[in-house]
Amino acid sequence: MDNKPDKLQVGERVFDWLLLLFSGAVFYHAYQITGFSSINSAGAFPIGLSLILIASSITILAGHRRKQKPDTQGALDELKAFLHQHFPLNVLVFSALAVAYLIAIEPASFFLSTFVFLVLAMLFLRRGKAIGSLLTAAGAIAVIYVLFTVVFRVYLP
Amino acid sequence: MSDTFSYLLMAWLDPQLLALTALGTLAGIYVGAIPGLSVTMAVSILISFTFSWDINNALALMVGIYVGGVYGGSRTAILLNIPGSPAALTTAFDGYPLAQRGEAGRAIGLSTVMSVIGGFVGVAILAATAPMLSDLALRFAPRDYFLIAVLGLLLVSTLSGKSLARGIFAVALGGVIGLVGMDPVTAQGRFTMGSMNLLGGIHYVVVMIGLFGVAEAFYQLHHLNTIPVKQKVDKIVPSFNMVTKYLPLSLRTSVIGVIVGALPGTGGDIASLFAYDHAKRTVKNPSRPFGEGAYEGLVAPETANNAAVGGAYVPMLTLGMPGDAVTAVIIGALVIHGLNPGPMLMVETPHIFWFTVGNLALANIFLLVFGLTGIKLFSKIVELPKAVLIPLILVLCVVGTYSINSNMTEVYWMLGFGILGYFLKVFGFQMGPIILGVILGPLLDETYRQAMSSVGDNLGEFLLALVANPLSLVLTSVITLVLLGNTPAKRLLMERLSRR
Repeated sequence: MDNKPDKLQVGERVFDWLLLLFSGAVFYHAYQITGFSSINSAGAFPIGLSLILIASSITILAGHRRKQKPDTQGALDELKAFLHQHFPLNVLVFSALAVAYLIAIEPASFFLSTFVFLVLAMLFLRRGKAIGSLLTAAGAIAVIYVLFTVVFRVYLP
Repeated sequence: MSDTFSYLLMAWLDPQLLALTALGTLAGIYVGAIPGLSVTMAVSILISFTFSWDINNALALMVGIYVGGVYGGSRTAILLNIPGSPAALTTAFDGYPLAQRGEAGRAIGLSTVMSVIGGFVGVAILAATAPMLSDLALRFAPRDYFLIAVLGLLLVSTLSGKSLARGIFAVALGGVIGLVGMDPVTAQGRFTMGSMNLLGGIHYVVVMIGLFGVAEAFYQLHHLNTIPVKQKVDKIVPSFNMVTKYLPLSLRTSVIGVIVGALPGTGGDIASLFAYDHAKRTVKNPSRPFGEGAYEGLVAPETANNAAVGGAYVPMLTLGMPGDAVTAVIIGALVIHGLNPGPMLMVETPHIFWFTVGNLALANIFLLVFGLTGIKLFSKIVELPKAVLIPLILVLCVVGTYSINSNMTEVYWMLGFGILGYFLKVFGFQMGPIILGVILGPLLDETYRQAMSSVGDNLGEFLLALVANPLSLVLTSVITLVLLGNTPAKRLLMERLSRR
């Protein structure tokens, strides 16, 4: 996970090309606002920002020439190394649980979905410890209720 | 004058404000100490819960968390060799070796007292310089504000990461996010992609919670199994002789902390590095070699990172320019409460400035109290496993985001920004510049258009004004020098000079 300045990380080249592509899209949308109609129009500053995005992403890509390539052979090997480094099982499963949790909030109610999410996430990340996870999740729900409903009085989903 | 004193003492005399400052400082110490939680994350989430509060109450809690959090990171740095926050990174260099020698209690006590000294120096300099700077800033033209915002963002890009290009990209990306929505002058949609929902813009607290809360939680999943080594703690309160012995060094490094903290984009982390370097270069006979448990190596970063808090408030309250990521978030809080951070703050709402000064001083008193007590309980709480902490952070982020507008779409946006932030973090981008871009982007747009209008939309006259006015000329020159300093031109010049 550490960023080594002298060596490209796996997937860095693809990511930086995506940034350039994104910058181009930002320019397109900035141009759609008012075009180059006036130097003081609603679109002038957004166009300026998009040009900065393009220039900086080109500079980032140009900087790749000074760095060593990652120790991978071919695109498939690099993709595998990328997934292995940046998407370990913890990240993948936790992301899936997080998305499922957000989707479940409205149909299943906030407290129930939060309880289930906390139990499942803790069970997975702690590799077991069912009773501890259940008790911690129940305690967390109680604290959330008291803190946010009684003390802060905020609207919960 | 009497008004100033009453504002200054407001937090000291009101029981509710006193309690909130104490609570904030105590909570901040734990937030700063627990690896995986950060002050920026806590303050971002807190904004969404406190925006319906009275501004003084909300600020009291945030100031407490900020002051406590900057200090809190040092506790785990000393006890576990895990800096709870980036500002405590340097503290671990000599703090942990001290703990290994059985001097953990003395190291914690000394770091507490020195943090408080640093904090007070920061507050004193804030109180002395901010009113003068604010008076000066009232004479600024829109183009000067534009130049200051450009300079601030440029410094952020330069100082906050390894690569200038990545820093500039991050700032510009933040600027684009900040501009999403309806143009306040012409009511045209910008970057809305035809969506009516985006006309209202993306709330910056949603971006903050996503980038600082969710992205950090995902990033921490890589470090779930860090096993801390516990230390025995006793004899916490340092002797008077010990404090006086290191006082001259602490005053010098406090001033370094304030100056570095006041520069946009730099915070306690860079301030403590500068101070540690200063101590290494200037202390001829340290108590032990640096890196092996030198008290000087503990005193320097601890005073500097807390002094940087006062420093970061100077540009925030006088120019509306955040000194670091936390003050960027606090600017957001001030705006939400209808205040106007910048030179007009001292004119329109001077009580907020003096209240903040008094509140910062009060938080430092509480820091002394809580810093020297409760170590045993502290040791238990910071052992909370990340596997428990990370799911809880996500739930807090959901609650915090939803409470802004009671809108589930914003919760999805928050998760989206979290995932984007995770990727950006993985590839060496910093989150601070993006947030500063989100906040300063609309300000830059506004000041640029005002400046252009003042010269009748004439680009030539606009450029001429940048060098014709003395203040604008100074700012333009500094911007040019900062830019040149980050190009091969500087290296070529240095090579040529060294050959002579």
